[in-house]
Order: sequence, then structure tokens, then C-alpha cells
Amino acid sequence: MAKQEFLGKKPLQILEKIRENLEKLNEKMEIIIELQKHDRRELQPLPEAPLDVMTLLSMPDHLRKTAMTVCRLGRATADEIAQQTRRARAVESAYLNQLVIMGYLKKERKGRKAYFYVDRESQGG
Amino acid sequence: MGKIIAVHSYKGGTGKTIISINLAATLAKRGKKVCLLDLDFRAPSILTLLKAENVNYWLNDYLNGTCEIDRVLVDLSDKIKDNGKFFVGFANPATEAIRDMTAKDRKWEMRALGRLLALRNSLLNEKGFDYLIFDTSPGLQYSSINAIVSADMVIVATTFDRSDVDGTRRMLKELYELFEKKTEIVLNKVLNDIVLKGGKDEVQTKIKDVYQAPILGIIPCFCDVLKGEGHVIFAQEKPEHPFTRILESIANKVEGFA
Repeated sequence: MAKQEFLGKKPLQILEKIRENLEKLNEKMEIIIELQKHDRRELQPLPEAPLDVMTLLSMPDHLRKTAMTVCRLGRATADEIAQQTRRARAVESAYLNQLVIMGYLKKERKGRKAYFYVDRESQGG
Repeated sequence: MGKIIAVHSYKGGTGKTIISINLAATLAKRGKKVCLLDLDFRAPSILTLLKAENVNYWLNDYLNGTCEIDRVLVDLSDKIKDNGKFFVGFANPATEAIRDMTAKDRKWEMRALGRLLALRNSLLNEKGFDYLIFDTSPGLQYSSINAIVSADMVIVATTFDRSDVDGTRRMLKELYELFEKKTEIVLNKVLNDIVLKGGKDEVQTKIKDVYQAPILGIIPCFCDVLKGEGHVIFAQEKPEHPFTRILESIANKVEGFA
């Protein structure tokens, strides 16, 4: 029954689903790679670090470009960032996830899309 | 879509504030809607220079998140004849306010950056301003770098002072370039005999060589500009003054930038 239901769907929808899952898989791999780079096993809890201008100044150039674009757009997907920086989406996705792991950006999933933003309000002080 | 211009320098006393006020006034006289913001929280001076009174809300309050930008802006369009709109946001000159601003932590500065970045939407998009001009503190101050990051373009005021030249060159490479900001140099307080001896073109080539950056303008040393003596908005009060003319040509270039 389940198989029949599956085959009854339009091929385009199936392909969409595959793409969606591949993207999720890709993101998870990026995070694992980043965690390995930082010699950490777990993602939680993230130390929150303020993304202030002095931090931006001291960042490596490739990350600064991504972080600045998030600052300017306020809240954006890897696609939107890539359009601004004219770099590949996969590259931006890797940098964005790296910035999340470093504690500078927050990530929020809404349906199929992942949004990245600077959390300026929740950090006390 | 309007533009945000930050006027910055390495050292103090390079003429940032006079250039900011007069660039804002020149653009406003051309019928533009201009907003001048005093982000020099360590040494606020625009309030005194423009002799504004009854200011109840400050940019300090806006950055602290205790009021919205509309409350801060003072309409000084009557100081500019013609149809332009000239609004100013002041920094609080009270000693206590200055002390408070110098003691902010990184998280506060991060939020302040967010509020400065938000002006693009609230003032340029919603209120239809053509230009926001940020007057900043000299050197590598948090408030100044926040202003630079939020701007589309940086005007760097500099003089022929040796330490200023070296510091400005460092900032070009290690600050503005890192943030990928369009940067233009205004060489101020140039001694008249240098201009006369070398000729303007030669001076221009020399500065371009030193800074490796585009030159927006060269302003000779005008004693009456330095003294002020009640004349601050030269664009309005002394339209024939050479300083006004130079500011006109700077404004032409600023308007020409895409």
C-alpha cells in the first residue's frame, strides 16, 4: 500500500524530497566537519559570543565577509548570503555553520529553510 | 535608495565635524533630505556648533534602546534656505553621558551596531532620507567602527601631519579595506604655500601616491573656517567662500557615486 502511495506522487515532488534530504545531510556533514576542526564532539551547549565590530575585525577575511553580510541583511538563508557575496551556496553554508559553532550566529529552521541571524537581544548584559 | 556616509579620521582636529556639517548642509540646500548624526560620544560638538536648544532626546538614548529615532531627530531645515530638509541627531554632551558611553561593554556595542544598521530601513527606506551623515570619534573607537560598518562610504579627513598620515595609511589597509568600504580622502588644512608652490595637481598626485586611495577634495587652511566665529554652516552663510565652493565639488562627487 505504502509503495503504491509513493509511486502515485508526482516525480517532481519525489525529486524535491530527495533534494531536501540531501541538503539536510549536507548541512549535518558540514557541522561534523566543523566540530572536528574545533576538536569538539558535541554541538551543545554553544558558548554565545557577541558579534561586535572588534570581533569582526579580528576574523579571517572569508568569515568576516559572511558575518558582515548577515549583519547587513539581519536574517538570511545561505542562498541569500551567497547572492550577496557571489560565492557558492555550499561555501556560504559551511562558513555560516562555522560561525554558528563559534557562537556568533544563531540558526533557526523554518520548514525547508534554515535562517541565520545575530542574536542581539537574548544575550543579557 | 539613500546613502549612508561616515566621516572619520585617525587623529582629532582634522575637521571631521565642520566637513560633516557643511556636506550635510550643501546636500540639503540642493533639495535633498539629509540627516546629520553626531556619533562622537566622547566629545559631542554639533549641538554647540549649531546652537540647538531644547533637545530632549539624544542618540545615546536611541542606541541604549530607550527611545526610537524619530524622537531624537531635530528638524533644523530653517537653518537651510531652499527646499531641502536638514535633520540632526545629537550626542549628549553632559559629562555623565560621556562617561556612561565610554563604559559600555562588547554586548552593548553589538546591540548598538544593530540599531545603527536598522537606520537604513527606518530612515532611508521608510522616512525617505537621501543621505545620512555620521560624524564620528577619531581613531579606533567602538562607536566609530560601528558607524563605518553601517555606512556605504567613508570619507577620511586627514592633514599633512606626519603621525596623521601614517595612522591614516594604516587605517586604510587595516580597517576600511577589511570591511570592504568605499573610502575617499579629504586632505584638510593644507597650507596655502604648498598649494601655491606645488600646484593643485601636483599635491593631488602626491597624496594619491601616499594613500593609494581616491581623493575627494583638498581644502586649504582657512583661518576663518577654523575660527568659526558664529559661521558654521558656510554653505548657507558664506556661499561665495572658497571653502563653500570646495564643499560643493565634494558634494557633486558624493552625488555622483552609484
